[in-house]
Amino acid sequence: MDRNVRAANRRTGLILLSIVLVFFVGAFAARMFGSPGVSIAVLGGAVVLFLVLAIGRNLRR
Amino acid sequence: MSSVPHDQVAGHGVTEPHGHDEHAHHPTGIMRWITTTNHKDIGTLYLWFSMTMFFVGGIMALTIRAELFHPGLQIVDPEFFNGLTTLHGLVMIFGALMPGAVGFANWMIPMQIGAPDMAFARMNNWSFWLLPFAAVLLVSSMFMPGGPPGTGWTIYPPLSVENGMGMDLTIFAIHIMGASSIMGSINIITTILNLRAPGMTLMKMPLFCWAWLITAYLLIAVMPVLAGAVTMLLTDRHFGTSFFNAAGGGDPVLFQHIFWFFGHPEVYIIVLPAFGIISEIIPTFSRKPLFGYASMVYALSAIAILSFIVWAHHMFTTGLPSASILFYMYATMLIAVPTGVKVFNWLATMWKGSISLEAPMLFALGFLFLFTLGGFTGLVLAIQPIDVQFQDTYYVVAHFHYVMVAGTLFAFFGGTYYWLPKWTGHMYDEKLADWHFWGSFIFFNVAFFPMHFLGLAGMPRRIPDYAQQFTDWNMVSTVGAFGFGLSQLIFLYVVIKTIRGGEKAPAKPWDGGMTLEWTLPSPAPYHTFEHPPTVK
Repeated sequence: MDRNVRAANRRTGLILLSIVLVFFVGAFAARMFGSPGVSIAVLGGAVVLFLVLAIGRNLRR
Repeated sequence: MSSVPHDQVAGHGVTEPHGHDEHAHHPTGIMRWITTTNHKDIGTLYLWFSMTMFFVGGIMALTIRAELFHPGLQIVDPEFFNGLTTLHGLVMIFGALMPGAVGFANWMIPMQIGAPDMAFARMNNWSFWLLPFAAVLLVSSMFMPGGPPGTGWTIYPPLSVENGMGMDLTIFAIHIMGASSIMGSINIITTILNLRAPGMTLMKMPLFCWAWLITAYLLIAVMPVLAGAVTMLLTDRHFGTSFFNAAGGGDPVLFQHIFWFFGHPEVYIIVLPAFGIISEIIPTFSRKPLFGYASMVYALSAIAILSFIVWAHHMFTTGLPSASILFYMYATMLIAVPTGVKVFNWLATMWKGSISLEAPMLFALGFLFLFTLGGFTGLVLAIQPIDVQFQDTYYVVAHFHYVMVAGTLFAFFGGTYYWLPKWTGHMYDEKLADWHFWGSFIFFNVAFFPMHFLGLAGMPRRIPDYAQQFTDWNMVSTVGAFGFGLSQLIFLYVVIKTIRGGEKAPAKPWDGGMTLEWTLPSPAPYHTFEHPPTVK
């Protein structure tokens, strides 16, 4: 596999891993915010935004 | 367009290390399977693991049904019965359905997008080999002091905080299987985004790959949330915290919110790859391109997005405010719109098509009919005043088995028959496969349709004993369950028979196959598309 492709794979993988960590910590944060409805709605909004951005960026390639 | 006609593909996919691919350098024997980084090998491992767990979970289900054949206690004691319902759910979801879907992804995504392998081949190996250890932990929780966890697969506190050591093993198993799923998802997204053949834009990708791309995003978002929830559960059990322990100021309902934030998208994580498989099979056996490709992609995305904002419909009886109830009720009903688009497009694809009814198509039609039924009962349950009546009854059990078994599992059976010639190089026994379909279709309905009546009459789920008036339908249901279980032995036999030999499969055994994997010989060589094809 070409070196540029490997680097791109690594970048994509790390971005995805960072999202995993945010959501893992978010589950604990939900407890701290006090209102589960609000905190999880914020997390849900983040997911939607992420889906739209991540797929939208690649749509024209 | 959903597929790439062969005359629009330049180059060929078979890597020819001087024409002797069958001698490609890799270890042989058991070491081949332990050390392999080849996507086809790993796909095979996932599929065998999934089938093994399917039979393990199936035996648990048959024990449950045997106990419920008569009112009264006859085979297992109540605590063990509760443990069986918990483990049956967890084994089927995390051990059978999810790894099965990942098996299809490993085999087919690189071949459908013209990639040589998955983006992170070593991580791919690791994400599979975590699973058998997790499965051993999960199943061995049955034999721990205190017995298996009796909480149901939702592991709600406070019961899960108080259960015995089996719960710890279950929590560790969920952690490990979650890590495996996350690694698998990172691999799939990276492969699809970075390794597509030149010219294969996202909107030219086969729908199976689209379905998996969206599924992998869902997994990335929700598996860490489940991991967080069970970690908190673990610290509540052993480290004196009170996340969910009301006695220490914790909130047990918070666990339900977090769990269902994972749990509802999980339904789509399981069913979206099935949608992808069905979207490959129906055009092939209708000999027509998929109707409304773009709308299918948008419908998949809409289902995924909506799946994040409906979790509390699982919690209508927890005392949510009226405004929340209305929101979750209508949001849940909204999912019927993109799902309806998909069902409409599958029907429109078949309309005036030259349809033939080989086993993959039979299973696709079975899926279409029964999944739609399961979807309808889901709409019924979305209506809060009705859901309050049906909460924790057999109506719910019937609903989700129509979605999970007749939906996802039927699609997996169809997908297996569809791609088996490409995987093994042999055609499967059509007659036996047809028997498998009809056995599964008839006995599935005998087993699960009566559960609607039982639920409507008020029979509670997860109870080993029941009132006399529920006896008749329970007997019918148990007979159906055993018939369904026996039908799966035909499937096992057909798969083994096909692997061992049979009529040679051509490169393209189905007239209507339009995706890149059909440009490869059957069986698919060990290395494919090392020089990517150009899709025009």
